[in-house]
Amino acid sequence: MARQRYTELSGYKFMWVMVLFDLPTATKKERYHYTKFRNFLLDNAFEMAQYSVYVRHTSGKDAVQAIIRKIERAMPPMGKVDILQFTDKQYENIVCFRGNQRRLSLKNPEQFILF
Amino acid sequence: MKNRVVEISSDGAHLSVDRGFLSVAMGRECVGKVAIEDMSALIIRGHGASFSANICARLADVNVPIVICNTNQSPASVIWPVSGHFTQGLTMQAQAVANKPMQKRLWAQLVKSKIENQAEVLRLYNQEFEDIASMAGRVKSGDIDNLEAQAARKYWKRLMGEDFIRSSHQGAINTALNYGYTILRAATARSLLAAGLHPSLSIHHQSKGDALRLADDLMEPYRPWVDDRVKRISEQIEGQEFSLTPQHKAALAAVLTIDMQAAEGASPMQVCMDRMAQSLAQVFLGNRKKLELPAPPIPLTLGQPI
Repeated sequence: MARQRYTELSGYKFMWVMVLFDLPTATKKERYHYTKFRNFLLDNAFEMAQYSVYVRHTSGKDAVQAIIRKIERAMPPMGKVDILQFTDKQYENIVCFRGNQRRLSLKNPEQFILF
Repeated sequence: MKNRVVEISSDGAHLSVDRGFLSVAMGRECVGKVAIEDMSALIIRGHGASFSANICARLADVNVPIVICNTNQSPASVIWPVSGHFTQGLTMQAQAVANKPMQKRLWAQLVKSKIENQAEVLRLYNQEFEDIASMAGRVKSGDIDNLEAQAARKYWKRLMGEDFIRSSHQGAINTALNYGYTILRAATARSLLAAGLHPSLSIHHQSKGDALRLADDLMEPYRPWVDDRVKRISEQIEGQEFSLTPQHKAALAAVLTIDMQAAEGASPMQVCMDRMAQSLAQVFLGNRKKLELPAPPIPLTLGQPI
């Protein structure tokens, strides 16, 4: 049996996407757009990290690009949206303070989830 | 992502949809959320669990089967989507009229691959494997000599000991194997659905009541990877009273992320299954002759501590 050489180390290269947004909410119309955009993020599996800061993990660079295009199409007419992306390693290096306590580092999602 | 296995084992868990997430509630409290887009299977073992019709429909949209298990860890029922693919009608039609010779050729490819992989697992545990490896080369169309069974008889005795009997009922090792195979079956069924194939129209397995007969056929080559993990679990708990812990289950579920040697380099098992299912659809449609199967495991990917 001829052995093939590995050409890459792993098929999964996690990438995290963080969306920061600042949307006007003064008028009824603006609030409508704000809610619509926030629900769009939730529908696309983004979780709230803080108010107006949403994160989700993706399977890699290509998936990140696809999500960015999706967000662009869903942009409300006014407001600011910034998108950050980082690797799974960088994600685990995020330092979290909750009140005056330092929290354990964030964990990448588990393969198997038991309830 | 498409690789997260969610299992519900608590009685009284309720599953529902919350925007893009599967939400799990115990009583009134939400105990967890998983992105629906990331899931590859939902396995329900808690007999007191309940779920909404909405979650069934949403999981169907993303081709995720819901597997409901009975007490011995085998799937008792599966909920799967009716339409999962844009060429599904065409592909299923081709699948339904596939002729016997084609089915037999495909079955031979699967058996050959399974036996090769079994031999590699035995090699890893320093057991005699040459005779089994040579069987792989002798598999004829439709496996008429039933080399699959011959190899299995020798394989189980060497891997798990002389007095081991493989069955769906008794003993800790069998329970662990059944659990691992449930994961494989759900993952394979998901790949088949995604490729527009019907998991009930088998190429070999003839069990009358089983809704996932084609998944049973196609998961054959992947079984040895589960066997290897169960072997290591059994070594860890040598001589103790054994029950399957969440850690064991996590190790068995993680089998879907093992990197395998595929034509395009290393790919996780679930991705290899997807490609295999796509290649099967192409065989049915007459565009290729052979299934795309992963190469046998190399010691690097087996025998790692779990």
